[in-house]
Amino acid sequence: MDMKRDYYEDIQLIRTKTVLVGTILLLGALVAVPFLVGGYTLYVISLIAIHAVVAIGLNILVGYTGQISLGHAGFFAIGAYTCVLLMVKAGVPFIVALPAAGFVSAGFGFLVGLPSLRLEGPYLAIATLGFGMAVTQIISHWDFSGGHMGLEAPKMTIGPFVADTGEERYAVIMAVTVVLTVAAVNLMKTRVGRAFVAIRDSEIAAAAMGISVSWFKTLSFAVSAFYTGIAGALMAFALEHISAGTFNLILSITFLAMVIVGGLGSIAGSILGAALLTYLQVKLGVIQEWPVLGPALVDVSKWFFSVEGLPNIQSIVFGAIMISIAIFEPLGMNGIYLRMKRYWKGWPF
Amino acid sequence: MGRAAYAAAFMSMVALLAICGSATGQEKVRGVTDTEIVIGQWGPQTGPAALWGSVGRATGVYFELINSEGGIHGRKIKYYLRDDAYQPAKTKAIVKEFVENIGIFAVAGGVGTSTGMAVREYLTENKVPWISPATGSSHWTKPFNKYIFSTFPQYYQEAYVQTQYAVEKMGKKKIAFFYQNDDYGKEGLDGAKKYMEDKGLKLVAEVPVEVTDTDLKSHALKLKQSEAEVVIIWVLPKHGAMILGVCKAIGYSPQFMAASTLSDPDLMFTVTKGLWKGVMYGNFVNMESPLVKKYQDAQKKWAPDEKYTGLFYLAGFYFAEPLVKGLQLAGRDLTPDTFIKAMESIRNWSDWLGYDCTFTDKDHQGVKSVYLEKCGDNGQRIKVSDWLVYKPK
Repeated sequence: MDMKRDYYEDIQLIRTKTVLVGTILLLGALVAVPFLVGGYTLYVISLIAIHAVVAIGLNILVGYTGQISLGHAGFFAIGAYTCVLLMVKAGVPFIVALPAAGFVSAGFGFLVGLPSLRLEGPYLAIATLGFGMAVTQIISHWDFSGGHMGLEAPKMTIGPFVADTGEERYAVIMAVTVVLTVAAVNLMKTRVGRAFVAIRDSEIAAAAMGISVSWFKTLSFAVSAFYTGIAGALMAFALEHISAGTFNLILSITFLAMVIVGGLGSIAGSILGAALLTYLQVKLGVIQEWPVLGPALVDVSKWFFSVEGLPNIQSIVFGAIMISIAIFEPLGMNGIYLRMKRYWKGWPF
Repeated sequence: MGRAAYAAAFMSMVALLAICGSATGQEKVRGVTDTEIVIGQWGPQTGPAALWGSVGRATGVYFELINSEGGIHGRKIKYYLRDDAYQPAKTKAIVKEFVENIGIFAVAGGVGTSTGMAVREYLTENKVPWISPATGSSHWTKPFNKYIFSTFPQYYQEAYVQTQYAVEKMGKKKIAFFYQNDDYGKEGLDGAKKYMEDKGLKLVAEVPVEVTDTDLKSHALKLKQSEAEVVIIWVLPKHGAMILGVCKAIGYSPQFMAASTLSDPDLMFTVTKGLWKGVMYGNFVNMESPLVKKYQDAQKKWAPDEKYTGLFYLAGFYFAEPLVKGLQLAGRDLTPDTFIKAMESIRNWSDWLGYDCTFTDKDHQGVKSVYLEKCGDNGQRIKVSDWLVYKPK
């Protein structure tokens, strides 16, 4: 059923009619969303899209290449600040500043990638963690970047089009997200993508096959940082104001959680993970107002913890999801999707 | 049947999440019905700044109290408190929900400068009155914003009147300023410098400290060399405690004066093991007001489990009082415009936890006064000055 006869069939983006119809429906839905939902929901969807871009970028590094990073909030911040500073201080148009943010971030990613040639596992985690924290420290002490007070983001302007309302911002953010997603799917089908996977599976075997391990490892960091930088720039416009406090350690860990929950080594998984955790972040904050469940949890919290205890349920739920993913479904949400697909394959015939 | 169970679990989860979307209410005036006024506030209940979360909870108790007394012109206050964990992205999501999903009339309080800055433009665009942003930043009222009313004395103004007190009432001429090297500290420094310039004097030393500094020996030596009689400190509580210890160790004991952000003598006395005794500090919550007792009783009634009932908790009442005052003045016909007009008619109002609050249609910085307290032998509050009002020459 899923047989491929030559190489070009393998690298095809859209393999079957079902996928084609699905893709068109999905794109149609993304276009229709602003006409159907209110501004608040649209903002949450925009956040999900931005986080999905980060998750895809981080997944290229963690899921495909087998490296780790606890410092992606740093790249996120670099992207946001580069884009805003270029536009405000140098008058660069948005259409140039956005990719520039990605490339500056990628440059830093390349630099951070260099020690990754010698560091592994927990040591690499600590090195990247230090990087992420250093970035926010520098930004918050640097007058040029607005210090602790942060910066006001300018309007997104593309030629005569000014993205001023939530709908227009959504359009720009979603368009960039779709382009980057397709690019990532494509990248993973190329020589570069296969090299990443080979390094993840076995560095020695990859080197023996003629893959330059050092080059592709740093490249993976750069590509990952590029995605995160672009997402950071988009975030600046979604928030309309950026400050160093936005890009903290918790954010880096949340990004990693999105990738793990979504599914390591899967683009679709990255998007699912970003969507689930972003949605939960927003909704668990108001859990006390859910019907039935809310008041019950308030009571439980009062008995066992304190009045202030309930908002911490977000950490508890996130932790529980991570643990159950690790135990029951190491492939994450993508794994669940694959299993469902296999289960329904023969249905109804 | 394992896979079917998976599918069923997934579908039920989707359904559950879908239910959680809240209902939208559309009226003529957003957040005002015949029986209710909807007010929102964000505040960190989790994360690094969770200690300040008590502000938002106290505001809730205050509204319970107002409702139990019959509400305002036949309307009860419905209050939504949201946790933003001190993250601007969440604050932004919260105000979008407030305005577009819940439909609020106004925002009360709101801890955090960067979180507030992330939503300032949005709230203004949507004509949401915002009463008492809970920090002393000057960004709320400069440039003038029609919808924002500030009751937190600005650091600039507070430092000005403290310096004035040291020079005019205590007769000291040699004054040094020890400050955190960011907006918080620099706004204080500017206020002190402004007063000294007005008087034709100069600070004998300006010593900055970085948030991350852990060794204050060189800072203390600079202060000692300046031979200042009064050292004004505009720093974090931990640096306030440290500089006292180091100065004592090198045998230098000037009169210390601290910002209102260090106005918890009980806590400071404990962490400095008694060194805080004699330190003067600013305070803008009137601890002598009979309302303090009333509010503490309200806390015992509606939030008996509350653990943090110190100054921050009282501040939660303080920040919401002007909002209720404005609602009362605005009368039954309530719109953002009538409300703002009513707020701007408040003159020299002292019948609350604050002092001498005045809003005009040109100046929305309502409170410009602090008074000085001194830390007593066992960490108790001793009032040493009357209200010091900011009146630049």
